[in-house]
Amino acid sequence: MRRLRYLFTKLGQVAVTLYAVATFNFVLFRVLPGDPVRLLARAGHLSPEAIARLHQVFGLDQPLPVQYLYYLRNLVTGDLGMSLTYRRPVFDILAERIMNTVILLAAASVIVIVVGVIAGVFAASRRGTRLDAGTVIGSLFFWSLPTFWTGLILIIILGVYFRAFPISGMGAPGYIVQSPFQHALDLARHLALPTLTLILVDIGQFVLITRSSLIDVLTEDFMLTARAKGLSARQVLWRHGVRNALLPVATASALYVGLVIGGAIQVETVFSWPGMGRLIYDAVLQRDYPILEASFLIFAVVVILTNLASDLLYYFLDPRVRDA
Amino acid sequence: MMHRPGRIAFGLAAILVVSACGSTSPAPTTSPAVGASGSAVATQAGPTPQPTPSQQPLRVGWLSEPDSMNPLTFTTTEAQEVLQLVYDTLLSYDLNLKPQPGLATDYAYSADGLTETLKLRTGVTWQDGQPFTAADVKYTYDVIHDNQLGQWAQWLIQLKSVATPDPATVVLTFDKPQAFNPALIIPILPKHVWSSMNAKQIEAFSNDKPIGTGPFTFTEWKKGASLTVSRNPAFWGGPPSEATITWVLYGNGDVMAQALKNAEIDIVAQVPPTIYDGLVGADSIKTVALPSFSFHHIGFNVSSDPKSLGNPLLRDKTIRQALSYALDRNQVVQLALAGHGQPADTIVPAGLSDWHLSIPADQQLNADPAKANQLLDQAGYTARDSSGIRRSSSGKPLEFRLIAIATTDVDVRAAQLFRNAAQAIGIKLDLQTLDSNTLSNIVYNSAAPNWDIFVWGWDSGVPDPDYMLGVPLCSQIGGNNDVYYCHKQYDALYDEQASTMDPVARKQLVDQMQQMYYDDAAYIVLWYQDKLQAYRTDTWQGWTEVKGGIIFNFTRDNYLKITPVH
Repeated sequence: MRRLRYLFTKLGQVAVTLYAVATFNFVLFRVLPGDPVRLLARAGHLSPEAIARLHQVFGLDQPLPVQYLYYLRNLVTGDLGMSLTYRRPVFDILAERIMNTVILLAAASVIVIVVGVIAGVFAASRRGTRLDAGTVIGSLFFWSLPTFWTGLILIIILGVYFRAFPISGMGAPGYIVQSPFQHALDLARHLALPTLTLILVDIGQFVLITRSSLIDVLTEDFMLTARAKGLSARQVLWRHGVRNALLPVATASALYVGLVIGGAIQVETVFSWPGMGRLIYDAVLQRDYPILEASFLIFAVVVILTNLASDLLYYFLDPRVRDA
Repeated sequence: MMHRPGRIAFGLAAILVVSACGSTSPAPTTSPAVGASGSAVATQAGPTPQPTPSQQPLRVGWLSEPDSMNPLTFTTTEAQEVLQLVYDTLLSYDLNLKPQPGLATDYAYSADGLTETLKLRTGVTWQDGQPFTAADVKYTYDVIHDNQLGQWAQWLIQLKSVATPDPATVVLTFDKPQAFNPALIIPILPKHVWSSMNAKQIEAFSNDKPIGTGPFTFTEWKKGASLTVSRNPAFWGGPPSEATITWVLYGNGDVMAQALKNAEIDIVAQVPPTIYDGLVGADSIKTVALPSFSFHHIGFNVSSDPKSLGNPLLRDKTIRQALSYALDRNQVVQLALAGHGQPADTIVPAGLSDWHLSIPADQQLNADPAKANQLLDQAGYTARDSSGIRRSSSGKPLEFRLIAIATTDVDVRAAQLFRNAAQAIGIKLDLQTLDSNTLSNIVYNSAAPNWDIFVWGWDSGVPDPDYMLGVPLCSQIGGNNDVYYCHKQYDALYDEQASTMDPVARKQLVDQMQQMYYDDAAYIVLWYQDKLQAYRTDTWQGWTEVKGGIIFNFTRDNYLKITPVH
């Protein structure tokens, strides 16, 4: 019962937040000065009649409250509007791009989080050794690398000099794939450099968070108690230490997954990856409001859902949340 | 220079042009030849065997994507580049940017110049197998004219009727003679595909499977990645060599240049200047710098509308001319543009060599601060405040707002040089940089233009002076007229040249307009930038250097004439 109430409270909060985000999105893009159709009109001399028709096509001829109602109705039915730039349904455009971004980020996030946490645990459990110092310095070094620059350096070294991996895109242009296996291999080769870039620049934060969180836990009295109970060092570390240290890591992971969906813009730009980041970058430049509205909404949904997931995870990881 | 966001194919395009890298804006361009002022053709790279179908693909790198495959609504240069290979025009531009037959084999004007009769090629089929006839031409011209559709409508404003006495003849009748022949640029659409849509449906039509009569058929557009067309074996002009052409999207110019070096692509349409210098001399790569049909300029808000919020002092031509004298355009080209262009004078780019008016050095309003000071002194702007800024006789300081596009590095650098030059003659400019859309919205807010001076650029949308000359018209206030210039005599000259068929007589009118607009100094045209391109010499051969670019030009013929290197 209490569990259900906890769940429903959380879900209610999510629904209210989503509605607020959707409304904020609508207002945000309509209080910005300027007429988006004016941008379309830059190509050549458009007649007033043609401009009026464009307003109709994009529903911009209606008063704002009416536009708002249409917007909400369309959202509920999954209609995200029509892109001003591409003149295609935003839903279709996003569907193509989100998949590409997920492919790019799936491998990278799992490696960043899993390897980062393990490295952090090793460093913390050997606190004060050279291994620990090396891990910390290494993490800080990689965390400080600019994403864009790192990508370019990898391109020059691994892509151009050694020619080990392709430097751009998701597949070789004009390449005819013979089998699904070949296609996967080609995709994997194209994934190599962007994934490596993401891992290098993002892994440091997980190492450091895990390390400092675990060091805090390891100095607690109950760790001594656990030793006193006769548990082995390994049991103490993983079962009692790491489990308690994972709470901040769970939060950081939820934030990370939420951010990377939109935050891979730099990697996507360097490696010409046709994902959400590039799409949004172009949409900002071109003031393609329907695409921006829908993308921001999706980011909000992802961030809210991953946070919900981390809240629920807390519920299981930490009995104190349950009993509160 | 050059670069930018890819929208806008024609027109204001240029604004964007410059930013960082990318694609360019200007699209097409005109006239041939490279090199001195000239005329004609350019050099062939290598021998020129006849194109024969091969299995080799052509891969082109670009930095931004098309917006749409709809030939009536697209606005980007990239879309034009693809669609011109899928759709045909009645006439087209050859490698000298002179008219040549397209879907029409022949054309003739009536004695009064009001009627143009075009004989159509017979036996041509659409890529879906339907026959092409005069009805398709009539449909295309009528739907554009009747609904004012897209960028083409401006060339058919004076179209009175389209007649098709037989399936292989089209007769266009205009209200006035047309100095610019719209048959050169308007893509012909298949009536059987398009005629079921009304204007609103056409505006919202994405045309995912374009059907044309051109040398290539549309194959696939992987959004955000690449776009591919394939050889049309039934093309009326004979099949081209390339099995396919794939345009590959790159997120940045450095990576695109590396891809060219790695032989992942064969040609790059727009190389950012900083990267261009790094490609010069690379193995198996040829770089070319070709005159373009684009320029960048400083514009003054000269609106005489009482609702204008611009500084009224700029309506005084003397101040504008003094500012023009203060600036050394040659220095601007060297410092802002790294030398990749020519110092400019009039609004018809020097690349349009048949039409450009070259102002003699001793008559230019350029690089003469002493003259600038003299003009201002004579006009009574002699009082100065403690920091040396001049005041008008009524005590108003000569201080103006200057805006430029933050991401267009060359414009920002030019604006800084301009600010320093103005300071030297006692005029204060306050520079603010903005994003291109904000700037565009401010400049084009015709209800109450609240700005003084901007920097941006233009590309000529057609290889004809009409496009640029048609910008500062009274009737374009609220349209393309970015400085709110309005002069009845200029407008009258514009109308006259637009219907003067004799090139010699028309050139005189065009010169008069250029001189007049130059002297009025509502623009300070800064430079005509070069179009920088690079291609591999070990994959394809036979590229002809054409003014305006090997590709991304008003002619598509380079795509049709190249052959594989064996």
